[in-house]
Amino acid sequence: MKKLTLIISLLVIATMLLTACQPAAPATEQPQAPEQPTEQPKPEEPTPQQPAAEKPAEPMPAAGAAINKEACQGANLKFLTIQPHNVAAQNLQTWFQEASGAQVELIVVPYDNVIEKAVLDVTSGANEIDVVEYWYPGLGTLVENNVLENLDQWYADNASWIKADDFFPTYFDTFTKIGDSRYGIPYDGDMHLLWYYKPLFEKYSLQPPKTWDEYLNACKTITEGEKGNAYGCAIMGAKIPLILIGTYLNRLGSYGGSFFDAQGKPTINSPEAVAALEGLVEQSKYALPTASAVAFDEALGGWFTGKVGMVEFWTDLGSMTNDPASSKIGGQWGVVPLPKGPGDKGKVVASVNAGFAIGVSTGSKNKACAMEFVKFVADPETAKRYNTVVGGIDPARQSTLEDPKFIEFVGKEVADAIREAHKNAVVWPTSALWFKLQEPLNDNLSLALSGQKTPQQALDDTQKAWEDLLK
Amino acid sequence: MNGSLEKYTPKLMVLPTFLILLIISLVPLIYVLGISFTASTIAKPFNDFVWFENYKKAFTDEIFGHSLVNTLLFAFIVTTIQTFLGFVLAFTMQRERTLSGVLRTLALLPLFTPPVAIAMIWRLIYDPNQGLLNYYLLNWGLSSTPIAFLGERTLAFPAIMLADIWQWTPFCFLLCLAALQSLPRDPYEAAMVDGASAWYVFRRLTLPMVAPQIIVIFLFRFLIALKVFDLIYMLTFGGPGNATQVASFYIYRVSFKQFQTGYGGALSILVLILISILATLLTKGREFLLSKVER
Repeated sequence: MKKLTLIISLLVIATMLLTACQPAAPATEQPQAPEQPTEQPKPEEPTPQQPAAEKPAEPMPAAGAAINKEACQGANLKFLTIQPHNVAAQNLQTWFQEASGAQVELIVVPYDNVIEKAVLDVTSGANEIDVVEYWYPGLGTLVENNVLENLDQWYADNASWIKADDFFPTYFDTFTKIGDSRYGIPYDGDMHLLWYYKPLFEKYSLQPPKTWDEYLNACKTITEGEKGNAYGCAIMGAKIPLILIGTYLNRLGSYGGSFFDAQGKPTINSPEAVAALEGLVEQSKYALPTASAVAFDEALGGWFTGKVGMVEFWTDLGSMTNDPASSKIGGQWGVVPLPKGPGDKGKVVASVNAGFAIGVSTGSKNKACAMEFVKFVADPETAKRYNTVVGGIDPARQSTLEDPKFIEFVGKEVADAIREAHKNAVVWPTSALWFKLQEPLNDNLSLALSGQKTPQQALDDTQKAWEDLLK
Repeated sequence: MNGSLEKYTPKLMVLPTFLILLIISLVPLIYVLGISFTASTIAKPFNDFVWFENYKKAFTDEIFGHSLVNTLLFAFIVTTIQTFLGFVLAFTMQRERTLSGVLRTLALLPLFTPPVAIAMIWRLIYDPNQGLLNYYLLNWGLSSTPIAFLGERTLAFPAIMLADIWQWTPFCFLLCLAALQSLPRDPYEAAMVDGASAWYVFRRLTLPMVAPQIIVIFLFRFLIALKVFDLIYMLTFGGPGNATQVASFYIYRVSFKQFQTGYGGALSILVLILISILATLLTKGREFLLSKVER
């Protein structure tokens, strides 16, 4: 026993010495306060690194026409994408292979794993991935961990055709910019709208809700009237940050609350924030059972079978719903902006939950070809192509939204709703600290939703956790 | 010369295995122990030496404490039920000769199925709206409304336990069957000659003879159950709230969602210490029980 104690003690001492002798790590950057959700950022002034918006654009190259095939000769490009975008990625794979001659291999991961996969690929030295499709709140984390190539020079080199001002202002800076540099191009412009199932609304003589009070009333009326055959609303409250925080942000923004104030100080337990969570908890009582276990699949399962009156979902739901292969309710839906919050501070917002961008991994062994791939995806003509097939991608460019083929594909009602939503967009923070901050929020929202904490208590605890993390 | 060669040959022959074991187990352990004393992040290993700060933080981390309790509870409950069911199944089937091959193959199916597929199957079974379980509960009038097994804090953990029991009972069954079939026949024949009843034979012969192996099976399974991750990840993500939060899943979140590998390392070391203590206690318990049985 004594020997064992001695061995363990020696081992601990050796480890401490080993640790202490490690080369000093580079000085850590002072953590910056995360950016607060902002409302529709204004298009910024052109900078030398950024294409000048007012410059007359050169003739647009046809899709793939500008691809430098020499850069891709013999290249085997690995594209990290998420499972819900698999179909779109397969299309890009085929099209880019045709255009460049490169081989493209897809690495498909669950949507909530994409950031860690990209970070681990570079930090572990595996360097398998060339092109990364990233969830934009992870941008700061990716940049802090040196996972993404700086694309300032790439933007300057491609300024003649890229039409940066064509990207929705809501997305362009938020999805791609940290500090003064850009690290990606907007790919999937995801924001939430409120979708409703017309037959259930007609049955109960309901109008699409304009306020969260009307939403609660409609949800309650349908749920109580249907007695388990259908539910007034599906609320995605599964304990996954992208899902649960997205659902909460739909209410937080419209109640006039925010994650942080203008100085970057947490305001997550403000009266508006608490009221928003109280509203969510109350609504969840009448939602498809049970909100805290409902993620994409469960919400879509209820929606496609006509068992759900309303669902907050992304703008591609219309085309998915009209696909008879997956849905029974094609053509029987309507879409409106998210409801307005109560009181003076109440407003209509569209939360940018789950937008995605594309960047080049610093560990890429095919950087030149990876840059060509980014160019291909950024091409406005290619964007029109991948936005007019069922693949989970929503427009990141204004020209895509105004394209007659796209309007025909999604329907005028959806195109109008998207256009309207951009006027009131709220986005997630993208600082390097956000991935640490979102965990206590996610935990506490789930605790409130499952009745283990009151909304006030849950948000007070989140506020304290955030203040500690930001110290 | 020959004498010293003879003396060292066995040690030299063991050396490659020893080195491999050293590399695959001790090196990662030392690495984790090292980073546990630092404020490492995933991109900056061995960043800022903080001594025992991570350990101090762990002792005041409510979620970690809660996840440890959940882990122990989970491991104890599922292991007890699995060992019991495995033994009962093995005991009733040990004499079955004609169907034994088929039964063993069937028993192996859940073990061969990838954990992710098992989790998906149970997710579909538990689905409140289209799931098999709710279909029968509603049709047989056992419930008037669908039950969200994975969304209710009181039901989520038992639901995950049930999936785990389905997955791992065959493991216990096969080991118990092997243990029962390896028992010597002589004592049974002697008992039959003496006219002993079936219950007496079970209580006085089978149980004492098979007990050492059953305790080992329990120990193995308990240690495996402490590492549960896949079902939690696939079914509840630790929710609702923290109802199904377990240690391995929490460490994963800290290390790979928040990228705090230093703190994650400290939590891993604490869990390792806890498991080592439990394993020692269980081994001592096994020795104590064996001494009782032998008496």
